[in-house]
Amino acid sequence: MLTLYRPGDGWLHRMPAGPKALLQLALCLAVSLLPSTWWAAAAALATSLAVYAAAGLGPGLSGIRELGRQIFALRWIIAVTIVSQLLFLGIESAVANTARVTAAIVLAALLVITTRVTALLNAVERGLGPLRRLRLDPQRAALLLTVALTTIPILAKLARDVRKAQRARGARAGLRTFAIPFLVMALKHADELGDALTARGVR
Amino acid sequence: MTASPGRDDSDRPTDGIHLDRVDVRLGEADVLREVSVELDARTTAVIGENGSGKSTFARLLGGLVPRTGGELSILGLDPATQAAELRRRIALVFSNPDAQIVMPTVAEDVAFSLRADRLRAAELDERVAAALDRFGLTSLADRSSHDLSGGQKQLLALCGAFVRRPRLVIADEPTAYLDARNARRVADHLFTDTGHRLILVTHDLALAERCESAVLFDSGRIATFGTPAEVIGRYQAALRC
Repeated sequence: MLTLYRPGDGWLHRMPAGPKALLQLALCLAVSLLPSTWWAAAAALATSLAVYAAAGLGPGLSGIRELGRQIFALRWIIAVTIVSQLLFLGIESAVANTARVTAAIVLAALLVITTRVTALLNAVERGLGPLRRLRLDPQRAALLLTVALTTIPILAKLARDVRKAQRARGARAGLRTFAIPFLVMALKHADELGDALTARGVR
Repeated sequence: MTASPGRDDSDRPTDGIHLDRVDVRLGEADVLREVSVELDARTTAVIGENGSGKSTFARLLGGLVPRTGGELSILGLDPATQAAELRRRIALVFSNPDAQIVMPTVAEDVAFSLRADRLRAAELDERVAAALDRFGLTSLADRSSHDLSGGQKQLLALCGAFVRRPRLVIADEPTAYLDARNARRVADHLFTDTGHRLILVTHDLALAERCESAVLFDSGRIATFGTPAEVIGRYQAALRC
């Protein structure tokens, strides 16, 4: 299950999910709109360091260590971004763009690190409230987002299961031999999840 | 046929499960045919071979598949017209706990079951804490739901079902993926009387023996209904043929 939440009682943990989401949206936009220059890259890095250090994620350097974990988790995205940019742009633009993308992702991650999914679900539901006039059911839309988010690791597990089953039977890896059983298992899981949601009182 | 063989009925609620010539057709297949039974016992085992209609019977009672004929009453309600009311009183537990877990942490997943009730935060926390304590999951409250062991996941699924205080629990092979120790723990929780009725679909005949009554399905029909000893005896005799 996709859970980045780290239990804690810092100020960011205590902040209501709605205002916190707006604050982090503003921060992400701010770093995204920086120009492609060396100082912008430094500003994106400094903003990430400052926000993680001040987020109250734990004693001492806990915030900085968490930032390190987040950046490590993004290593492949960083590598692909910088290499592809270097093919077409100069080094300054490539580094600055990569720094801005990385900063935006790690700043957005703070929201899920410090907020329980239930609180996010409630905030999304409240945020979508005005769309009732357009006949959108906020409860259902928020649930859809939550279920989509939490199903990602399940699909990853199903993919691993398919690969294991193929290896056990000596089958060669191939898109068709992977995709068909994976789709069947994913659809079966969707059916079961639908039943489970119905069984748990979800309309 | 009337349930509750071998037990005094005086302390039970009168609104059991009543089926009168119920049919279920899925696509072109008649999965259940003219099923008539009255289940008034607190615990009923449903046994039979694969494809005999057991799971469809459980899904029918849980409101997941509609009947295509006959009359059906569950806890005094008709699932065709009172589905929402019925779902508030029923909990289902399936064999695969992965498909039942929705939220990323244990406590949040249990709380998810109460989401539709719109409880105050304090009451919600209290209900969740009590349920976690009952199922021995308190220490795992902030753990990732899908990082749990198979046994812990099924306990979480049970916890999510029982936190709603259901009057009827329908469990479809809830111990199928579990080792003996975890199967016993899950079964003990299912059989602990919290004022609920239990419909237990199982291939585990030892588990079926713990019920007060049993139903044997064969080719979409009820072949035998009675005490577990009688029904299991008939089933085993049929298997030897």
